[in-house]
Amino acid sequence: MAKPSIPSLPTRRHHSGRPATPTPGQVLRQGLISVAGLVGARVTNQAGQEVGRLVDVVARVRGGADTYPPISGIVLRVGGRRTYLDAGGIARVEVSHVALSTARVDLREFRRRPGEVLLARDLLDHQLVDVDGVQVIRAADLYLAAVAGTVRLVGVDVSLQTLLRRLGPRRLRTRPTPDRVIDWAAVEPFGDDLVDTPAAVRLRSPQSALRRLRPGELADLLEDLGRAERQALLASLDPETAADALEEMEADELEVLLREADPEQAAALVEAMEPDEAVDALRELAPDERDELLDHMSDRAARQLTDLLEHPADEAAGFMTSTLARVHPDDEVAVIVARLRDRVEQRNEIDAVVVVDGLGHLLADIPLFDVLVADPSTTFEELMVAERHHDPVTVAEDAGVEEVASRLIESRRSSVLVVDPDRRPVGRILADDVLDALSPGQGRLHFPRLLQ
Amino acid sequence: MSDAPAAESVGRATRTVARLTARLPGPLRRVLAYAAVAGPGIIAANAGNDAGGIATYASAGSQYGYRTLFFMVLVTVALVLVQVMAVRLGTFTGKGLAALIREQFSLRLTGLALVCVLLANTGLVVSEFAGIGAAFELVGVSRYAVIPVAAVAIWALVLFGSYRYAERIFLVLSLGFFAYPVAAVLAHPDWGKVGADLVAPHFVASSDFLLLGVALIGTTVSPYMQLYAAAGVVDRGAAAADYRSVRADAATGAIFADVISVMIIIATAAAIGGTGALTSAKQAAEALRPVAGSGAELLFAVGLLGASALAGAVVPLSSSYAISEAVGVERSVSRRFREAPLFLGLFTLQLLLGAAVAMTPVNLIRLLIGTQVLQGLVTPVVLVFILVMSNRRSLLGDAANGRAFRAAATLSVAAISAMSLFLLGQTVLGALGL
Repeated sequence: MAKPSIPSLPTRRHHSGRPATPTPGQVLRQGLISVAGLVGARVTNQAGQEVGRLVDVVARVRGGADTYPPISGIVLRVGGRRTYLDAGGIARVEVSHVALSTARVDLREFRRRPGEVLLARDLLDHQLVDVDGVQVIRAADLYLAAVAGTVRLVGVDVSLQTLLRRLGPRRLRTRPTPDRVIDWAAVEPFGDDLVDTPAAVRLRSPQSALRRLRPGELADLLEDLGRAERQALLASLDPETAADALEEMEADELEVLLREADPEQAAALVEAMEPDEAVDALRELAPDERDELLDHMSDRAARQLTDLLEHPADEAAGFMTSTLARVHPDDEVAVIVARLRDRVEQRNEIDAVVVVDGLGHLLADIPLFDVLVADPSTTFEELMVAERHHDPVTVAEDAGVEEVASRLIESRRSSVLVVDPDRRPVGRILADDVLDALSPGQGRLHFPRLLQ
Repeated sequence: MSDAPAAESVGRATRTVARLTARLPGPLRRVLAYAAVAGPGIIAANAGNDAGGIATYASAGSQYGYRTLFFMVLVTVALVLVQVMAVRLGTFTGKGLAALIREQFSLRLTGLALVCVLLANTGLVVSEFAGIGAAFELVGVSRYAVIPVAAVAIWALVLFGSYRYAERIFLVLSLGFFAYPVAAVLAHPDWGKVGADLVAPHFVASSDFLLLGVALIGTTVSPYMQLYAAAGVVDRGAAAADYRSVRADAATGAIFADVISVMIIIATAAAIGGTGALTSAKQAAEALRPVAGSGAELLFAVGLLGASALAGAVVPLSSSYAISEAVGVERSVSRRFREAPLFLGLFTLQLLLGAAVAMTPVNLIRLLIGTQVLQGLVTPVVLVFILVMSNRRSLLGDAANGRAFRAAATLSVAAISAMSLFLLGQTVLGALGL
């Protein structure tokens, strides 16, 4: 990824709570060109005659190799018509003036190529994601700067002061007020047109900062974005990452997300979630919406979730995960370890292996650590005897959260097994599920929900 | 404003009612449970009837009898069209109106729209505090003692998160206004005349009628309600597939709300019609006498208190939210309410202004109607934004206004604008002594 050297931006991270850098000098301020101020600027030809007024600036913000995308052209109004001019025909871009290097302008319609956006129409005043600060922002202004001979998009302004500047007279509008600027390298754009962009160029690059985010942070962003932006962000994530993020979302926000996504996509996402979280999500939906999603899932997943849905949400079988790693006493450790290797996507749910007899009755519950340190050639029968794992920690299907919690506390394990009346294991409850059930919500206040 | 929660789905209203009624004694619960099945829209609509609305409708009844009814029919048509456009914008874009305006119009026009919303809503806050004051004056407590306490209480309840509980109490209190439709029937109005006045076009050519007409528009088609309706569908995650039911909800909610408003006019007209403009809450309470007898004043006071306190918190919240949404800091509101300086500052400012104006020594009923006139003057600006956006195919695609809808909606907005401009012109000319 080419990283041209650019003047360090006067970035003041507002989430840090205090100014990180001193006010930049006049020099730097003059190097920045405000996109909001540039709209309506004079466009002149080689001879210095005005040929038209600038309408918008085009830049390829997705799928390109550059961290700071160069502008690929401008849209200008010549007479009563709009026309597109490629960046090759531009000599200079100044704060309120664009000089062309050609004498005449061909009237040509702007055709958007994949990944391109109109900066003023699609990005200015729209929602963007600041990946470093993990927050959704609304662009008050965009700044261009000449870097190594090309004019590039370098930052997004999010200050209230800039909004006020834009409300003022035109003279003020062109003057950059870089008070709270976010480096473009940390910004993920969601222009309306980018939503239709082919998946291959949706993410700016494989190293996109989005990939650094934890599931909980992604969940926050998903909750905070508008619908189109949210669906775009979701589509840019691989299903497993997306499912992890969904598991962290507030129940009612998740409900809205699933309802507005198309059923096929929503079903794929729910299927990729941990069964217990998936069941929670399905419980929030109306019966017909739930059935529609189940119809779009694989038979196996649908059956598993339908079984879980039969239990009330406050009973053990209602909030357990039905994902279990079952082994037989005569299985060898090495064989099972190899089999677990294929179940990487369930790493959050499997913290122990369940030893069952030929009829499926529970014999032992062996933590992964013990499996890890065991000699690969031992069988589970030997392991059970050696480690004295004869007394697995279990609860009945109708046990309440309190009971599960006390079983966890007295056994000091990270999970308990749920068994049916015949002592066949049906699922597992991890300590974090109990935490979820016991800790009150974060209390996010949604204005429209005040009236619920 | 008369049907704020009308934007809520039938399901949500039913759930609310079920929760509310669970703690009530048996017979009352059965009545309300029946009402919940029969018409959650009625409950939702009625719960939104606030001080300004009651005062304006009651004044229409006392001053002009049934002669404003045909006008109310026209206003209802306009309200349905506007509400349908607002929920359509919310459904097909998934964004609140303020965010849409910021994305669709220049920043200066966005500023204009927001100033109008803030102006209208601050007027509403004034009317809610005036309503609280009037309610307490009916039972002999001075408004100068009550209003500051109420302002601080609402501010603290919202800020410290216990508002949800207080709100349920206010909602139950406001159900007192359920008595209006019953009162309208028991008062034995001249139904023939009511029917004739509902369908026969008639207007009174006087500046008082124009003023009241603008107030009726302001209180019925207020900007706040459109913001609220759109926010409601966005929050529910309603998508294109749900649009038919969303539209039906919005339309029936609007009609139910206006049926209640018309009942208030009829009940008041039958009780004190023709006695001139309303001047006191005591007079307005007369309309409830057929239901409550000597308890009419108390019933009126309780209903007024509930409705005013309910709206007293929601209205300033909605304008603060809209402005935060347009500026782009709404999400900090949803996460850390107390750490959102813009939101909190605006909320506090509106409560302060509202309480302060309501404490000036003017006639409370006059003040209530005055704030609705202000709303009526500002409403057209917001309606034009809604109309232009729902005409845009670039925004809504095939869901943009069709030709017939567009014509009807344009006509409604133009008529409302013309009335407001006419009143504004008359007032300005009057002030200049021409």
